[in-house]
Amino acid sequence: MDILIVDDSAVMRAMVLKSFRMTGLEIGDVFEAENGQQGLAQLSSHPVDLVVADINMPVMDGVEMIRRMKAADETASIPILVISTEGSETRWEQLEEMGAAFIQKPFSPEKIRDTIQKIMGRKS
Amino acid sequence: MTDQIKETIYQVTEDVLERLAFMFSFREEERGDMNYSDAMIASVTFGGDFEGRLFLAVSPDILPELAGNMLGIDEETTQDQQQDALKELINVICGNLLPRLSGKRIIFNVNAPQIVSSDEIEAEKQERPPLAVTRLSIEEGACDLIFFTDGEIPPDGMAESDGE
Repeated sequence: MDILIVDDSAVMRAMVLKSFRMTGLEIGDVFEAENGQQGLAQLSSHPVDLVVADINMPVMDGVEMIRRMKAADETASIPILVISTEGSETRWEQLEEMGAAFIQKPFSPEKIRDTIQKIMGRKS
Repeated sequence: MTDQIKETIYQVTEDVLERLAFMFSFREEERGDMNYSDAMIASVTFGGDFEGRLFLAVSPDILPELAGNMLGIDEETTQDQQQDALKELINVICGNLLPRLSGKRIIFNVNAPQIVSSDEIEAEKQERPPLAVTRLSIEEGACDLIFFTDGEIPPDGMAESDGE
């Protein structure tokens, strides 16, 4: 499974990757981006199986990136997992309506594994 | 109300430190403020149901372990990595704290965390007194959280969160 991790915090990208490696899931190529704009650029050159994104980022936030992904044929079907500090149920519902799964920070590898299995299963 | 807010800050911080940095903390309610000029300090501003600013001051002794645990690396961490780790820590604390104070239906805008000097805390205190100050010990070091709000927190959210 190739992954794109989009987060403006290098620490959080490292933590997400560490947690992914602890899930026991097979991880292939991992690409990184610091904001939604970079994330979309990465996707145009590196198609992936899963996008993991934060919400609050400079330049382009996660919600706008997801909106653009869903509007483009090439990226509309890529599963998206949002990992964010946001704890608002209103935001969770908004993301769910947009077709993204959501995990609030702090998170555990088990929570990531269970959520990925759920959304990858939903895709197939 | 202030005691309730302090208790919530304690609970959120203890939980985040344990789950994000694998570090246990202990409340030090009787201790005075730590020496902020020696500390590394992160700050984050937010707006939504109410506006405000949160500071997280940590004594430098515990930063290598804090950053190493968060990043999952054994080797010495750089100052940049330690600063990034502290910024992420306050980001997660603030993101978990606000829904506990204001109810889970409100969307808050949490701005990008910054590393700041102790002067910023003093400047903020000149504007208005902090709503709550919480003091913790972590390993051999100290950790203070100073929470400022513009105006009062609407009481409805606290009541809603209490019921959970």
